[in-house]
Amino acid sequence: MIELKEILKQYEVNAQDTVTALKGINLHIKEGELVVLRGASGSGKSTILSLIAALSKPTSGEVIVDGERISKLPDNFASEYRRHSIGFVFQKYNLIPSLSVKENIILPLVPINLREKEIEEKLLRVLKMFHIEHKEHQIVKNLSGGEQQRVAIARANINNPKIILADEPTANLDEKLSLHFIQMLRELKAEGKTIVVATHDPLFFGLDFVDREIEIYQGTIL
Amino acid sequence: MLFTPEVLTILILNTLFALFAIVAFVLSVKIFLNWNINSTSATQYELEKQSFLASTIIKYIFSIKVPLFLFFIFALDKISNVITGAMCAAGVVDATQTGTYLIILKIINLYLFAYWLKLHNQDMLSKNQPYTKLKFGLFILFFLFLMVEIVLEFTMFQSIEIDKMVSCCGSIYSSSSTSAISTLFTLDHSILLSIFYTNYLVMFIFYIFKNRYLFSLANIIFIPVSLVSLILFFGTYIYELPSHHCPFCFLQGDYYYVGYLIYFLLFMGTFQGLALGFVKESNRSYKISLFFNSVYVILLSLYVALYYIKNGVFL
Repeated sequence: MIELKEILKQYEVNAQDTVTALKGINLHIKEGELVVLRGASGSGKSTILSLIAALSKPTSGEVIVDGERISKLPDNFASEYRRHSIGFVFQKYNLIPSLSVKENIILPLVPINLREKEIEEKLLRVLKMFHIEHKEHQIVKNLSGGEQQRVAIARANINNPKIILADEPTANLDEKLSLHFIQMLRELKAEGKTIVVATHDPLFFGLDFVDREIEIYQGTIL
Repeated sequence: MLFTPEVLTILILNTLFALFAIVAFVLSVKIFLNWNINSTSATQYELEKQSFLASTIIKYIFSIKVPLFLFFIFALDKISNVITGAMCAAGVVDATQTGTYLIILKIINLYLFAYWLKLHNQDMLSKNQPYTKLKFGLFILFFLFLMVEIVLEFTMFQSIEIDKMVSCCGSIYSSSSTSAISTLFTLDHSILLSIFYTNYLVMFIFYIFKNRYLFSLANIIFIPVSLVSLILFFGTYIYELPSHHCPFCFLQGDYYYVGYLIYFLLFMGTFQGLALGFVKESNRSYKISLFFNSVYVILLSLYVALYYIKNGVFL
């Protein structure tokens, strides 16, 4: 399903200096697996997620998803891939605060040009799935952190993607809300989604439904 | 050097084109020599980033340069007002030694640059970017054409002397002209028209059979055939004067700027058609090409028909 081969990722700090985020990583994630990437800040977890989402390209090596060489895709095709295959949940939710819950959730559907009826169907599905039907018309900035994270995960699922990527999804949530979020992941896994979570939150460690925990340390897999 | 606002605009744009084209040229050489889409090396990823930059630069240069051709003709037409003896752009072209070569090169470049844009467009439609190496290889060649055009353009504007008497289009485009153009006037009109309409008919047949190479070839031949027919025959009906053969005067307001429409139709039709021979495209390109070529043929034929209806005779 997801394959990272000999991934080297370097960021240019300035003309002379580079930082190596990933040092020749090899990783294989099977379809329907839930994988937790654990490690300290700056270890390279988020970089792995951004490579799988085709948000960035490796310095060398390649990323293959469903047999397609994602890292070689031109930008216009990478956007299409993200739109159809990836749902991304961010640490700071990345919602548009002045828009309503509904408007935020259906945002990924805008470029697809669906009919109103199809949009409503998709919206209703995720609103129910994440128990936020009653919040549909509320403005996002007026919601609590936990509710905002629900909206974010609903938005990530609006296109029914095969892969869910979550980058430190519980970093801004208290323990109770974090456990709620973990429960949502359990439900998504039960639906057959492939899920990769980058986190250093101990709540994710040792969970029965997590298939693998992978420790990342200074750009390498331990 | 003649400094009218139009000339200044062209010179400033040319300077910018030259600077950016040099950057794109250097990158194109690198990409052309090292491109390997299957490689996952750092060099290849770097080239992929650079190819995006280079193709964006080239795309914008050519996208501006193609329509700028009409602006160039418009500029020449305006300059003709200040040059002694010149009645239209033809006099300005003839005023310098490089003018004629520049116009010919500009027409060639028009097709080359538009072809590059088409190739680039096709390349962007595919995940594997199958034309990347070819398009940058071609740019290395087209860069030379672009630079020669810029130098010739600069030389032309630099060598125009407004006090020097130049020939008007009436004497340049006539059988008594001392240039090579006079040999065109030995062509018989009936033969010329037979070639013109047969060429169009052949194009139509290849459209029906969807043979892209032959359709392309018919379009390539149609460019000189239609230009010569326009100068020798159809132009006289636009002017309603049997002795006036200028290919520039009908760009003026006196003729409702119809020349811009005529050249636009000819370029759109022949370009879409000839490009089919070099880039595999959908059936839509056949239709676009044939549509523009048909409108071109109908428009020119209408001038002849209307003249006959009005006057009862042919010129």
